[in-house]
Amino acid sequence: MGVVSNLATWLANNIFGVPTFLLMLIVLVGHILQKSPVEKVVSGTIKAGVGFLVINAGSSVISTSLTEFTNVWSVVFGLQPASYLDQSDFIGNFGSTVALIMLFGFLINVLLARFTKFKYIYLTGHMMWWVSLIFTGVMVNAFPNVSKTLLICVLSPVMGLYWTLQPALTQKYVRKVTGTNDVALAHTVGIGAWLAGLCGNLFAKNKKDSESINFPRSLSFLRDNNVVTGLVMILFFIIGTVLVMFQKTDAATELLASSGDQSFMIYGIVQSLTFVAGIAVVLAGVKMFIGEIVPAFRGISTKLVPNAIPALDCPILFTYAPNATIIGFFGAFIAAIVWMAVLGTAAGYVFVPSMIVLFFHGATAGVIGNSTGGIKGAFLGGVIIGTIVPLGQWLCLTYFIGSTIPATAAWAGDTDQFLLAPLISFIAKLLSSLF
Amino acid sequence: MKVLCVCGLGQGSSLILKMNVEDILKSKGIYADVDNTDASSASFERCDYIITSAEIAESIRNVNAKIIIVTNYFNKEIIGAEIAEIFEGL
Repeated sequence: MGVVSNLATWLANNIFGVPTFLLMLIVLVGHILQKSPVEKVVSGTIKAGVGFLVINAGSSVISTSLTEFTNVWSVVFGLQPASYLDQSDFIGNFGSTVALIMLFGFLINVLLARFTKFKYIYLTGHMMWWVSLIFTGVMVNAFPNVSKTLLICVLSPVMGLYWTLQPALTQKYVRKVTGTNDVALAHTVGIGAWLAGLCGNLFAKNKKDSESINFPRSLSFLRDNNVVTGLVMILFFIIGTVLVMFQKTDAATELLASSGDQSFMIYGIVQSLTFVAGIAVVLAGVKMFIGEIVPAFRGISTKLVPNAIPALDCPILFTYAPNATIIGFFGAFIAAIVWMAVLGTAAGYVFVPSMIVLFFHGATAGVIGNSTGGIKGAFLGGVIIGTIVPLGQWLCLTYFIGSTIPATAAWAGDTDQFLLAPLISFIAKLLSSLF
Repeated sequence: MKVLCVCGLGQGSSLILKMNVEDILKSKGIYADVDNTDASSASFERCDYIITSAEIAESIRNVNAKIIIVTNYFNKEIIGAEIAEIFEGL
């Protein structure tokens, strides 16, 4: 008995408690179940482990450079500079929990698709990772002593339900865009996209389709997220710094002197690019392990749910209305800048313009808004995203995730995550009074 | 042969495209190393073919690779027809 329980404890501490090994184990089993050739089993398992460690490395780079950005705009708005560093060990602590929530949540999604009328299988792996991570951050923020078992028991069914119902919610509009019921949308733009489709109906009369106009081709650089994020962060940093230079306050002088011998402007530009570099590193890491997990997930689902409808990442819709993606993005960006000014002056909060979120969510809302309301619908869809994201980021960072992973929520937090965070936080608070 | 499937972020849709391209090439009896990546990296990775959408293709400058444009990421029949040059030349 002693040997067995010792072995169990050892396994719990050293395999299941170490996220890197747990992910490698999940990938290993996935490859074996798919009967992958040996070299794929080995390379896939190693890549999953490396990918996970890469995420950790990138996260700290992001937190540091993001603090510099927030400092500048805090001075502009006359706020106390608030550095919201991520708990650097959060992913190390809860990474295994997040991985298991993804796994069990997905299995619940498969079961629901097998036995209910909702036949959607959620296959956007990186979004599964982000939403599980953010919700874990929200639960731990509301209930700091929550056990990992309870986290898994609560969030797995929540995620399973979300991954089944979100594609169902948007399917009416996805059918309208794609003209087929063979594919669904699996993305956290979900509720925002649904609102975009709904509100687009306001302009249904005499609508002008976005694809009937000619758009300059030079705008194609907007599709490279490294370029867009870098450009916008540099511009915001320069504008912020210039505004600070006009201020005669102590805080302004102190900030401009903080870069030492180097010009603060140059220092800021490098920090802006460091932020982009951090995101690129994190995304490279996520890609490495998600790329190994998703094929296994797809393999499982096609065996168990023969008439499944695969729910896929939002760019599958972009090819149907490329102009609408740009219009939606502009709508989201313009609205977000307006909200940045409003939140800075009225709420004392510096909005982090999370360009990846604004682009992909704005673009998807644009395509869906265009399907019901043409060009105006596409723009309004973007504006809806550009309103939910800034307000959501402010409320989420202030009330729902401030003590755990605020920097992650600032650059990667998005529409449905922010809309559902209060509910998750409420559930956690309720549980904390019971346990 | 190395094939690179590309989408903006290199995360979701390029992975789906990669799995579909792998299936298609396998069904034609072709062994290829298929990978997925983002728009920035695609210009610098060494490969024989880049498969992506028309909009993303605009921002890729890769001298070594032949760029193939697809209009769909998930329908194997459409993708198969659009990437036919990969297996027809062989």
